[in-house]
Amino acid sequence: MTTTVRKIKKQSNFEITSWKWMRYSAVALLPLVWIHVLIKDVIVGVHNIDTFYVRDIWAIWGWKVYDILLLAFTFAHGVNGLRNVSMDFFHSEKARKIVDWGLIVLWVLVSGIGALAIIAGARPEMLV
Amino acid sequence: MTTSWTSLKTTLSGYLKYRGREGQTAFMLHRITGLGTLLFLTIHIVDTAAAYYYPPLYEHAIVLYRLPLFMVGEIFLVFSVVYHGVNGFRIAYLDLIKPKDWMILKQRKSAKTTLIISTIIWLPAAWIMASNMIKHLGE
Repeated sequence: MTTTVRKIKKQSNFEITSWKWMRYSAVALLPLVWIHVLIKDVIVGVHNIDTFYVRDIWAIWGWKVYDILLLAFTFAHGVNGLRNVSMDFFHSEKARKIVDWGLIVLWVLVSGIGALAIIAGARPEMLV
Repeated sequence: MTTSWTSLKTTLSGYLKYRGREGQTAFMLHRITGLGTLLFLTIHIVDTAAAYYYPPLYEHAIVLYRLPLFMVGEIFLVFSVVYHGVNGFRIAYLDLIKPKDWMILKQRKSAKTTLIISTIIWLPAAWIMASNMIKHLGE
């Protein structure tokens, strides 16, 4: 039996790239998020976490890099997921524009706030 | 305005009434756990960032997170993170590596397996967190 395979080169666009990256980032997020949750929520526990704990963690460069990656991957994946959900509810060109710009502002703002804090480190000396 | 409300109603009733069995359940669980996790994540990024900007605010957030209500919420949050991860892995695996297994009968099975695996991973974590909560009750 012979089969003829026609190869069609698909033109990539934003939605295809976004679709792929939701899946690639999902695979990266599995170890990143689960290790984070296992350590903070299960092993250490909220009763052992305070500003001093955060200072000690962010004093270590490895954890700084880890938390930056965690922040970048989770929040981008989350906001893009919210964009996907929003497409079920907002269809018109005008509504899409408003929602998309709102999400971009949220994404940049919260990522920026988080990244700056991780880089600068916690300041328990401000507690007095 | 009228049109957007119609679309909201149509979408929501579609979510609820569509009889997609296991696949539909997985879709709904994936959305709910994803949105719930994103809501907490956004608050969590901002409150943790307060450890740098204004530590008293971070300490205040920690006090809230230690309340039994929030600790129960934390246990559900961990379920969300586990389920969304396992199901997300299923989606990525089927889409990128084995699209043929989206076939309806196999998909029903993998959707069920996903829920079972998530529960097995979650239970020991839930147990430890619940014991932790009980240990600190009345503090």
